[in-house]
Amino acid sequence: MISVMPVDARLSHTAAMILQAIHAGHIYGFSVMQMTGLPSGTVYPAMRRLERDGLIVSKWEQQSIADAEQRPPRKYYRLTRTGRATLQAAYERYPLLEKMIPSPEMERA
Amino acid sequence: MTRHWLHSGSLARINLRAASLLIPHADRENWMAEWSAELHHLCHAAPDEIAESPQCDPFEFSFGAFHDAFWIRWDTLRSDSLPMLRSGSAARSGLILATAAVAALLLCLLLPGARRALLWLPYRHSADLVMISSSGYAGTQSPSIALADYEEWTTDTAALFTQIAFYRPTTKGLHVARHASARLAMAQASDNLLQLLDLPDSGRVMPAAAPGEARLVLSRTAWRTLYHSDPHLVGHTADIDGRPVLIAGIIPDGDWGFAGKIDAVLLEDQRSLAVLPSRTRGFVVARIRNSAFPPPRGGWRKMVETRDKVTRGFDCISVTHLLGQPSFVFLFAMLMALLALPATTALPLGDYPRRRDHLPGTVNAQRWGFLIAKFALVIVIVDLCSTDLAYGFYASDPVSALYIQLATAFPALLFGFRWTLQDQRRRCPECLRLLSNPARVGQASCNFLSWNGTELFCVSGHGLLHIPELPTSWFSTQRWLCLDSSWRCLFAESPSPHPEMV
Repeated sequence: MISVMPVDARLSHTAAMILQAIHAGHIYGFSVMQMTGLPSGTVYPAMRRLERDGLIVSKWEQQSIADAEQRPPRKYYRLTRTGRATLQAAYERYPLLEKMIPSPEMERA
Repeated sequence: MTRHWLHSGSLARINLRAASLLIPHADRENWMAEWSAELHHLCHAAPDEIAESPQCDPFEFSFGAFHDAFWIRWDTLRSDSLPMLRSGSAARSGLILATAAVAALLLCLLLPGARRALLWLPYRHSADLVMISSSGYAGTQSPSIALADYEEWTTDTAALFTQIAFYRPTTKGLHVARHASARLAMAQASDNLLQLLDLPDSGRVMPAAAPGEARLVLSRTAWRTLYHSDPHLVGHTADIDGRPVLIAGIIPDGDWGFAGKIDAVLLEDQRSLAVLPSRTRGFVVARIRNSAFPPPRGGWRKMVETRDKVTRGFDCISVTHLLGQPSFVFLFAMLMALLALPATTALPLGDYPRRRDHLPGTVNAQRWGFLIAKFALVIVIVDLCSTDLAYGFYASDPVSALYIQLATAFPALLFGFRWTLQDQRRRCPECLRLLSNPARVGQASCNFLSWNGTELFCVSGHGLLHIPELPTSWFSTQRWLCLDSSWRCLFAESPSPHPEMV
């Protein structure tokens, strides 16, 4: 059996911020931009790279929901299991990451 | 405020549409949908939500789409093209060789002497053009014909030549402006020289306004440097060593194909030339009469009986042959290199047994095509580089240039051919990548009869190459061992099976 090699845990700060933002519940591109302060030309390509590396997955919102609210459907992102593990590893390298963009669990704590 | 945003939102949509055109067609709809949805959200978001954002203007947001599009283009290019150009690949080698050939060609076109040698012959109907010399090929490089002989031939050789012209290289002072003069390298010639050569621009040269009037035809460089490219210069009178001459035309620098660098041609009628001492030596160019005999390929010897009843021989050398010397010398160097090649490396490419699962014919054709392309590119590169060296820097001495071309082309071709064969032997016959990870196998001193040598393998897992240390009767040349697809999982860069092989 051929196993998939684990993704290198050394993320850039930008990629770690985006992962943390998605983990914190900011699941749309624009909300990631708002939370991280990164420009649109940086966030979307970075999310495509993270998706290609298997750290996040994207999914289109159901058309019926968008139709009910009379707007186009949005694409939302969530972390994969590998993405969560990579983010956990990134906390050691960027200890302030959790404080900058607090996740719901941390806010509850 | 909302109106302003809606207005900038419509501009932003135009921007997004423009940015989407930069995205590959397959992904365009997906990206456009995501951008549009995000833009819609931005335009209709609550004001307090927008106020927190550092880049809440839809117009600014839309400019980020161009960045996205450029990133996608770059990423697509990198993922599609870079694997082809990875280290050791055939495409990479071909690209390096092609780049070298283009660089050598550009250098050749930049250097006037090399450009002239490359473009070869500016004269029309050059097949019946000959140069007459009293000392073979050496006489085509230095003046060898006396003016008296030329004057005699103008009347005596009408059955042999349709036209005959004389010129001699000289240096004369040209009065350019008040208190300003320049020394120019000139060809002092009979007035029919340019007409005889049938240069592309010779029809534009003004005829003499009065009998005996000398005409000056400047090279383009001389016109540019001395007269600052004055467009109204032709028709004016210039002063050469105190003598008025008509400036009759301008010819491109590359049009003068004969020995020596010429800044201008001074055309004079027979009477003016006759003022020169009869022993003055120069060059004689003629057009042979086709009805008299077929034009010679290289040249022939013409026997002439002079007025004092002495028979003398002159060589009539074809100008086509004369100006084609660089090609002839290069072909000679290539022949010599091919003859010397077996002394420097083995010619066989190795033993490549047929695979059980039969490779498609295109793979074998690619292998031979790659070898032929490498040979062709090496020949082109050496030809252009030797022309650059010989004629770009020694353009004023064509004989030395020929020797320099021969001396540079022969070793370069020999080295190039040797490299081409060695490079081909070190490549995988299937993917044409360079084989890697050489490992020495066996020890010659332990058992002389056992096999020992070097093994290399293809990183894509196509097979192993065995190279014997000492060729024997049972293992005389390198041997390729094909690996079937069950071995591929051992190799990190193994590709998916070939569609024709599945």
